[in-house]
Amino acid sequence: MKFTIKKINTGENEVILQYESMTPEVERVIRFINGEQGKLTGWKDKTLTVLEYQSILYIESVDGKTFAYTKEDVLKLDYGLSQLEKLLSDINFFRCSKSMIINIDKVKHLRSLPSNRIDATMCNGEHIMISRTYASDFRRRLKGGTRDE
Amino acid sequence: MNKKNQGISVWMRLLAQEIGVEFKASIYFLCVLAFYAIYRLLCGSLEASILHMVEMVCMTYVMGYVQLYLFDNFDEGEQLRGKEICYLLLCASIYALVSYWGRWFEGDIMVSVVFELYMIFAYFCAFLIYKIKRSVDEKLLNADLRAFQERRLEDGGV
Repeated sequence: MKFTIKKINTGENEVILQYESMTPEVERVIRFINGEQGKLTGWKDKTLTVLEYQSILYIESVDGKTFAYTKEDVLKLDYGLSQLEKLLSDINFFRCSKSMIINIDKVKHLRSLPSNRIDATMCNGEHIMISRTYASDFRRRLKGGTRDE
Repeated sequence: MNKKNQGISVWMRLLAQEIGVEFKASIYFLCVLAFYAIYRLLCGSLEASILHMVEMVCMTYVMGYVQLYLFDNFDEGEQLRGKEICYLLLCASIYALVSYWGRWFEGDIMVSVVFELYMIFAYFCAFLIYKIKRSVDEKLLNADLRAFQERRLEDGGV
């Protein structure tokens, strides 16, 4: 991202952000300016709502649309799952299947299933399947490693 | 996915499948051989037929593929339910029939029946071992989960 810093002698400090489309990078800058790090925006009944990362249980992609599930609400997000994976993977979120990202902090219990799959019980009682492809990375992540290791 | 990656993926899948079949074959061969050795000892003989052992190796290897392709990927790592019990009984029966036709136990039908019961027990043990493995794995997984969550709390969350 290109940026310009200009010193002025009089007037109020001002930040102007020009963007072509809302990307996680742009959103991160906006959140930083607003002092809203750790938050994401999503649509609920055509209203743009701010939600904290920590309130999200999991994020799911259905028919090309992305939804964030909290204990009470479901919000439609403007990003794809891959963008969110990049945005959230360095904190407590984990891509657990082709269509889902879970908040590891909201997992209550894990069950080891045949064929190296894992069943995660979320704090609201919902069950989420961690597929065989992602299970090894998940185990590594719990032990303190990262996906790229 | 491009053609090269697809080729690698198919090759990796086939390799994983082959390793799985050979792993099972070696375990069941050991079980069959143990029964055969005890039978030979009880008959007062310290000799074993190489031909019988070659048949056993081939049999256990072929059974791996029978389980995979004819018995709906019947795997001891799965949970033991109705369908699995049926396949378990079928596999043990096939072993008993081959042992009878191959005269592994000198064509004694009673020994082949006992061998079938023994193979049922062997399959059951395999299921049990996988179940115990999953139970231990589950405890470790949940311990890792708790440790991860505690680490995150100590780091101050997000």
